[in-house]
Amino acid sequence: MKKDKKNSFNTPEGFFENFNERLMARIQQETGSETKSIIPKTDGFGVPESYFDGLTPKILSRTTEEKGKVIQLKSYRKIYYGAAAIAAVFLLIFGFNWKTETSPVTFDDLANTEIDAYFDNNRIGMSSYELAEMVSFENVQLNDILEDDLSGEVILEYLDANVDDLRDLNIEYIDYE
Amino acid sequence: MIAEETLVQELKDKNSQAKAFEVLVNTYKERLYWHIRRIVLDHDDADDVLQNTFIKVYKNIDGFKGDSKLYSWLYRIATNESLTFLKQKSKKMGIGDQELKDRMVKNLEADVYFEGDEIQLKLQKALAELPDKQKLVFTMKYFQEMKYEDISEVLETSVGALKASYHLAVKKIETYLKAD
Repeated sequence: MKKDKKNSFNTPEGFFENFNERLMARIQQETGSETKSIIPKTDGFGVPESYFDGLTPKILSRTTEEKGKVIQLKSYRKIYYGAAAIAAVFLLIFGFNWKTETSPVTFDDLANTEIDAYFDNNRIGMSSYELAEMVSFENVQLNDILEDDLSGEVILEYLDANVDDLRDLNIEYIDYE
Repeated sequence: MIAEETLVQELKDKNSQAKAFEVLVNTYKERLYWHIRRIVLDHDDADDVLQNTFIKVYKNIDGFKGDSKLYSWLYRIATNESLTFLKQKSKKMGIGDQELKDRMVKNLEADVYFEGDEIQLKLQKALAELPDKQKLVFTMKYFQEMKYEDISEVLETSVGALKASYHLAVKKIETYLKAD
């Protein structure tokens, strides 16, 4: 038994000699139990062979595509002129033969049909946001341009599904507290 | 490896943008892919979201102020794109978020790009039960071995809260895996 000269406490024989050894064993035990977690180290996901090799060109080609989509406002106007010209030609043709047609096509129907078809069949390269930016809706309510009025419930449902952060709406909040 | 600040400058300069963007894609494509894949689970979906993420980065690089690291900005965009993708998917399918998560895990059983065994599949089931943020913290820390400080920048959450979230997630997963 080893005695401390200043007090009456003592320690078992060889306590300090093998302390480091015991401490290291304890540390190993502690860290060992952490790594022994039953959670698997990998999650089992795989990718098709050479997937990452072909990825960069695929993404880069999409950026050049996106660049190509930018078009001048003037060409947008040309679409209307083009559609109106086609409509006028059709009107002339059908206009002269209107008596023989069972359901005559009106100018309005024709113009709308042609314009709709043009947008359906051609890549105009403009997103709905870009189109919305081009058209001024000042002093126009949303319901003025919709066939059916939107109920508050539908609007809330849309916002819930499509807006992650209410801050995106740029609404000024007032604290009523 | 090119310094981050230099890369950002080159990305903003129209003359060097194309080359710099290629460097950016090559540097981050794998890391971002695995981050996205662990959220959306399906390879094709991860591929779509990854491409959209890079397109968004390309379009918005001028708006990158440099307040955070480029690395965490990219992760933030990838995370948002992935979560938005899942939200839109559940909406299109007319099902709730939890039902979508359950279906996604069920689909893994027949997924050719999922080579997990029984325990790895069970892990995915356990992860599907966690709240989104807890799952994100767990996968970023455990599988991607990201530092808490980096996760903190991506998820805009304090390191303390992340640590608590991680340990809670580990406990829940272990309990789930131990259960029959």
